[in-house]
Amino acid sequence: MITIINRDYIYEKVNSTFCTAHQVVIDTILGKSLEDFWGSDTFKNDIKKNVDACFSGKTVQYEATFFTPLAGKRHFEVVFRPLSVEPGKITHLLAETFDIDDLKTTKQAVIEKEKELRKFESNLPIGFLRCDPIGKILHANGAFLLIADCQDEQTITKMNFRDFYLEEELFELHLEQLSNDQSKNFGRVYLKNCNGKEIPCRISGFLAVNGSGLPAYIDFAIEDCSRELMLENRLLQAQKLETIGSLAGGIAHDFNNILATISGYSEMLQDDLPKNSESSEKVSKIQTAVKKAQSITNQILTFSRQVEQEKVLINVAEVLKETFGFVKSSIPANIILKSRIPKMKANVLADPTQLFRVFLNLMTNAIQSMEEEGGTLSVDIAVVKRELVKDEFNKGIIADEYVLLTFKDTGEGMDPSLIGRIFEPFFTTREVGKGTGLGLSVIHGIITEMEGEIIVSSKKKEGSEFLIYLPVSKSYSFVSDKKSLRKKILFITGNKYESRVLSIALESAGYELIFISDGKNFVKVMTTVRERPDMVIYMSDSKQISPEELIGIFRNHKFLTPCILITDQNLEISDEKLLNSEIIYQQLTKPVSLKEIRNAIQELLR
Amino acid sequence: MPGVLLVEDDKELREMLKMSLLRRSFTVLEAENGKDAITHFKPLITDLVVTDLIMPEEDGLKVVIKLRELKPSIKIIAISGGGKVGPGSYLNLAKALGADAIYSKPFSINDLILKIEQLLDNEQLS
Repeated sequence: MITIINRDYIYEKVNSTFCTAHQVVIDTILGKSLEDFWGSDTFKNDIKKNVDACFSGKTVQYEATFFTPLAGKRHFEVVFRPLSVEPGKITHLLAETFDIDDLKTTKQAVIEKEKELRKFESNLPIGFLRCDPIGKILHANGAFLLIADCQDEQTITKMNFRDFYLEEELFELHLEQLSNDQSKNFGRVYLKNCNGKEIPCRISGFLAVNGSGLPAYIDFAIEDCSRELMLENRLLQAQKLETIGSLAGGIAHDFNNILATISGYSEMLQDDLPKNSESSEKVSKIQTAVKKAQSITNQILTFSRQVEQEKVLINVAEVLKETFGFVKSSIPANIILKSRIPKMKANVLADPTQLFRVFLNLMTNAIQSMEEEGGTLSVDIAVVKRELVKDEFNKGIIADEYVLLTFKDTGEGMDPSLIGRIFEPFFTTREVGKGTGLGLSVIHGIITEMEGEIIVSSKKKEGSEFLIYLPVSKSYSFVSDKKSLRKKILFITGNKYESRVLSIALESAGYELIFISDGKNFVKVMTTVRERPDMVIYMSDSKQISPEELIGIFRNHKFLTPCILITDQNLEISDEKLLNSEIIYQQLTKPVSLKEIRNAIQELLR
Repeated sequence: MPGVLLVEDDKELREMLKMSLLRRSFTVLEAENGKDAITHFKPLITDLVVTDLIMPEEDGLKVVIKLRELKPSIKIIAISGGGKVGPGSYLNLAKALGADAIYSKPFSINDLILKIEQLLDNEQLS
């Protein structure tokens, strides 16, 4: 649209486009003032100042939205150019109006699109880099800044992508492999970030060319795959342990056959030999060796999960507290114990005696690793939601909540290459001959059998951390043995913490436990009809009643209540006396599992 | 004397068991796997069976089921060196299927003999 306007703001000429757009006849427009045509407000607010500026000698250009009867409300670009009819004097102005509505919409769309792409690129969990053809970084997105562990893009854009490669030659090779307008996957590459940390990344590149076919820039996509690598490794470990487990389980099974033969013949030999003879003692030594071998095959079977665990509903926090107390009583002075074991409900299905072994073993390992330098062992327990667990698990998640136990020390730590192997049976970092190296593999077996997970992280000279996840059980009552209902057991405890765990186990299995303080109290309980126990369990390191006293009381009062004796691996003379006194119906050797003691109790109650 | 059938694929272990039973004057019958035990079962002279559980051919669980079916009054003791079927152990499964007693290897031979005598004594009483 073109019009010519004079200094009185009057239209002097308009073209036909103007007339068509405004749907007016040319004669009605000519001679009309801008104010009349556009209305007083529009003229005063929007038009007049631009017109005046033009009459002062400038070309004025601005954008305005107005209504035309032909096209409705649209966006226009308006240009006022000064015109001179008389020399040296601006008498008129030439007004040109262009409909830029479509252009404006397109521009807006482009801006929106660019914003969207920027947002997409910066929120992308994959690192994105644009570099010049020799690798100088032009632009990096947020994800790459995270991988690079660098705060701002400014620093990054001063660098070359080559600087992040662990091997610079590899970067050159990658540049050579790029061909015009094609993307290329380089697979996993180790990068080092701004702090020198090595990070495994999956990298692909795209080389873009300009109009003349020359390299313009290279786009790199960089994906941090350390998590993926860690999970892959963990899965591999789990599969390896599974394979070793079934192999070792098979061997343990065959070994038990052989041990049964050795043990059988040596028992027969023992019967043939005169008691207390030198030869008889030698045979006893064979039997002790068989027992030791059996304990190893048992551990292997536990590791390979070939042993059925007896499970009851127990609060892990209680077992942890007892184990903690036990460890605390014999800790070297240079080691600090820290714990947060709040009163909480952390119910799981487990054999408490097994859990005691697991916790004890982890704490003992931690303490040993700090023996020389001293340090701190921190033990924590918490209940976490399944959502927090799923990233840590290779196996199915079976519960809504998990108990998370943490054992963290500041000891020697482990070489990263060893971490993957510590759950293998017979793997040990100690000197040859110290321990069987079965400890952690057995722990792994026990935790896996409970459908839990054990995870270790460690740094040489900084310490190790073990995380154990156990599924929280929602059962409210646990169906116990019918035989155990209302059966009373008099429990003469030994070392209080280990006994506490055993009593937690028995109470959870449905037995009623009676405790006594001394011999007098014992006789009183035994002779009160209402309280009389169905059996007695005596731990040989008991402080309340000595073995001799126990024998005396049983004989004097002619008690016939069956008695189970729990001893250490090495029998004391007093233990032997008890065993020969005919009071003891059955003897168990520590560590006693819930299954063993339950079997023994059921056998006696039959 | 009562007859005891030994079902055990480990030859040395079987011979040890046999010797200890002969010392107590039991009549001893032998089978080296489950299939053998079932096909050559002699109900008239067999009062008690000691059977291993994990064996080639038919396993011990089949022996427990089949012999109990062929002679309901028979006494059965299962012995095993470990192993699980699903979540439960072979031994507990054998017990659930009708074994009178179970022992995990290695066991005390004297305990086993005592148990055998006990089971057979009860038999005579009833």
